[in-house]
Amino acid sequence: MELDFTPILESRRFLLDGLERTLLLSLLTVILSLVLGAAVGLERVYGPRWLRVPLVFYIDSMRAVPVLVVLVWTYFALPLLSGVTLPPFWAALVALSVHIAAYVAEIVRAGVASVRPGQMRAALALGMSRAQAVREIVLPQALVRMLPAFGSIISITIKDTAIATVIAVPEYMNHSQTLAGESFRPIEVFMVAAAVYFLILFPTTRAVDMLYARLAHLGRS
Amino acid sequence: MTLDWSVVSANAGALLEGTELTVLLAAATMALAVPGGIFLALLRLSGSRVLAGASAAFTEFFRNLPLILVIYSAYYIMPLALDVSLPPFATGLAALALNVSAYNGETFRAGIASIRKGQGEAALALGMSRWQAMREVVLPQAVRRVLPVLASTWVSLFKDTSLVSVIAVGELAYTAMRIRSQTFRVLEMLTAMAAIYWMLGYPQAKLVDWINRKFGVSE
Repeated sequence: MELDFTPILESRRFLLDGLERTLLLSLLTVILSLVLGAAVGLERVYGPRWLRVPLVFYIDSMRAVPVLVVLVWTYFALPLLSGVTLPPFWAALVALSVHIAAYVAEIVRAGVASVRPGQMRAALALGMSRAQAVREIVLPQALVRMLPAFGSIISITIKDTAIATVIAVPEYMNHSQTLAGESFRPIEVFMVAAAVYFLILFPTTRAVDMLYARLAHLGRS
Repeated sequence: MTLDWSVVSANAGALLEGTELTVLLAAATMALAVPGGIFLALLRLSGSRVLAGASAAFTEFFRNLPLILVIYSAYYIMPLALDVSLPPFATGLAALALNVSAYNGETFRAGIASIRKGQGEAALALGMSRWQAMREVVLPQAVRRVLPVLASTWVSLFKDTSLVSVIAVGELAYTAMRIRSQTFRVLEMLTAMAAIYWMLGYPQAKLVDWINRKFGVSE
């Protein structure tokens, strides 16, 4: 079997275009799911009791349903229900963020719970308000402890954006498939795709691990 | 918009078959990936640099690739490179097993490494052989620690089986989407698909939480 990478070199523009969209979708999804997940996670811990039931239901439902199903449902079924048709990229952003935010919420809850209750009581005893105690005592310690988990969220997000190809988001996986079909060189195209994803994901996870190794002492109490 | 939910009951048989294949695929993958993971972990801890390096390379490679890419690659590359034409189910199973084995390898390695060295040393000091110490002292404790992680991996795997629908394995997601395009009842079929996954996945997620509380270690 002979390998021929010329079709890939000739279409590098097309692939780079897809890669750019993969990175953009990943970045926006990470930001959106961190914001949404932090809000849900904190409301679950510190929010009013009546809010806890729907939030837990949302989190557990997202843990129960495949991301593919959320993607396909958001893109094909939601427009029929709401009357608003989202372009594939935005549908993927919404679906991925709603899905991944549930995992972020769990991380936030676990991080906050890992700070011993005595810390909170001590802060209150010193005359801090509850909000102050959360902001200035609990969260700074919890955030450091959540770092490794956030690292895996970034890597999960990048990997999940590849699934957006099923709703035809023109990201890297999608462009690879197109090129594999047009060039009749699927082996070479997918080999390059594997190398590209690996070269993005491996350094990302390593960088987060190294950052955590440096900051871990700040989370100890 | 008119909804016609009868399409779901009319196709209940096909959906049930799809669900069965989903469960079967997840179970078959785990049946391959648990021994696969133990094998990778033992290579990693073997003391041989070459074997440990090979195991680490395999693990890092598959942990840092999108699963859907592995599935597509298996579908296109295996027939051309290996000169065998496997049915979609076997191709999907191979891709899932490679992915989950890599995760399980890390799980088992961490589980065995989490048992303090003194445990094995004490067993040796009591006159046990290395293998006895591993089997009777280290492994029983490691399994307890590994169980919650394996349970979470199972739930992830159960959901990830939906990805093999892209290579036409007739599991639940593929079946639901096929009926959708045949009947044009998009909202009904996709909602039914989500509901079935939810009904199967929700108790599993809750069970994982329970296993975590029961077997989880906090030191």
